[in-house]
Amino acid sequence: MIFSSGFLTLLVYGSLAWCVLSALALGAMLLRDLLRGESW
Amino acid sequence: MTEDAVLLAPITGWVLLAIFSLLWVGLGIYWGQRNKSFEDHALAGRNVGLALGSATAAATWITSNTTMLAPQFALELGIWGMLAYSMAAFGLILFAPMAKRIRLLMPHGYTSGDFFRLRYGRTAWGIFLVFTLFYSLTWLVSMAMAGGILLEALAGIDYVWGMTVILAVCVIYTMRGGLAAVIGTDFIQSLIILVGIVVVGFAVLQNVSVDQIHANLTANKPELVDVLFPAALMAIFNNLLFGLGEVFHNNVWWSRAFAFREGVGSKAFLIGGLVWFPIPVAAGFIALASGALNVAVPSPDMVGPLVIANVLGEAGAIAIFIIVFCSLASSIDSLLAATSDLITEDVYRRLFHPSAAPETLKKMAQWITLALGVGTWAVCVPRIGTLASVLFFAGPLVGAMIWPIVTGLYWRRANSVGAIGGMLLGGGIGLVSYFQIGWYVASTIGTAVSMVWVLGAAWLSKDRYDWNLLKEAS
Repeated sequence: MIFSSGFLTLLVYGSLAWCVLSALALGAMLLRDLLRGESW
Repeated sequence: MTEDAVLLAPITGWVLLAIFSLLWVGLGIYWGQRNKSFEDHALAGRNVGLALGSATAAATWITSNTTMLAPQFALELGIWGMLAYSMAAFGLILFAPMAKRIRLLMPHGYTSGDFFRLRYGRTAWGIFLVFTLFYSLTWLVSMAMAGGILLEALAGIDYVWGMTVILAVCVIYTMRGGLAAVIGTDFIQSLIILVGIVVVGFAVLQNVSVDQIHANLTANKPELVDVLFPAALMAIFNNLLFGLGEVFHNNVWWSRAFAFREGVGSKAFLIGGLVWFPIPVAAGFIALASGALNVAVPSPDMVGPLVIANVLGEAGAIAIFIIVFCSLASSIDSLLAATSDLITEDVYRRLFHPSAAPETLKKMAQWITLALGVGTWAVCVPRIGTLASVLFFAGPLVGAMIWPIVTGLYWRRANSVGAIGGMLLGGGIGLVSYFQIGWYVASTIGTAVSMVWVLGAAWLSKDRYDWNLLKEAS
């Protein structure tokens, strides 16, 4: 039994999209913390 | 790899090295101006917010092993190999509730050593210090060695010069800026790594489709897409436990639990783990493309850069150079800071100078950072070991510390007999299995042995620990 091509596609594109969302989320969180004076 | 086979011109490598070195040192000096005491230096004033906290958790866990070894895992263990590497994210995710409890139980704590000393006594504390210092110094040496090896392979920069520059830069900004500099630079480094991996990943996919990769693997290396690949399945559990043991015990993570503002720790570690989770797959799938792209791979631990440079040329080589440099710096700085704080707090202060002033402790932490850097440099110059072997050797030791920590934080019946026996038996038997069976089971066996001993000792014990003893005034 082998992993399907569809599963590998989901894995690869899913992980790349996840990385994009992570970078955007970190940037947005920092902006919010800076505006609130809560960065550190 | 000879200079003729490098992926980037040495002059380009030196220019990139100079730009990022100046940036990190400049920021470290700037952020260091806010540090007045040991608490500021070691714990960034215990007031780090969610964004910086989440990014530093993720960035510190993104080592050069994540960006270089994840492709090697994919090349050797296939799809399960990438997923197995991703399991290390659960170290951060499961540490999230523990970070909250650590902050609650130890509002004045500095290090993971403080926990062992107060919870289990001096014998367990001593064993813990030996284990954790061995692991931290091994990790530090392996990161610095990896830095020299990778810069030489990527840009033809002499091993000793590359290793020296990376180490020196990290030592300077960690000395001057303490944990604040480490956390601040971690944020920038995490964004650079995430963006770099995404850009490189999509660029590779412009040259080869996932369907082509899958068809090539099915025809030539079917075990890499096998759902029941035995070694890869065992690697999942090993990596999961290795990740748990590393994060649960190491002062790199405990210092952050103490440094994050109240209410931030659990969220920051959860988000950090989620940010980290896809990176081994995003960085690792590139190795699976090597066959479909006809890229020769003479050295498995260089498969990622080789594929990227072959497909994307100089731009790809520059991207991987920056990703690797940021991955290395984000881990080396954290290890330097956390290990120097551990030695300052647990050895210098607790063993020799209990009444040392905060300013003295800060200066001592800075000198110890420098000494760690010089010592690491001296060990690295002869160029021994490889990326993977040194790290996984310590796996059973960190696995054996999981249960003493978890039960010690949540179960009043957990006791020193269990902690001492769990660490010694789990670490010892785990090491035997490392040599007799293989690295992929060593952490699992070490953790299982430790678990049985720790739970058995707690079950039979009549002790009931008083949590207030952990609230030691600083």
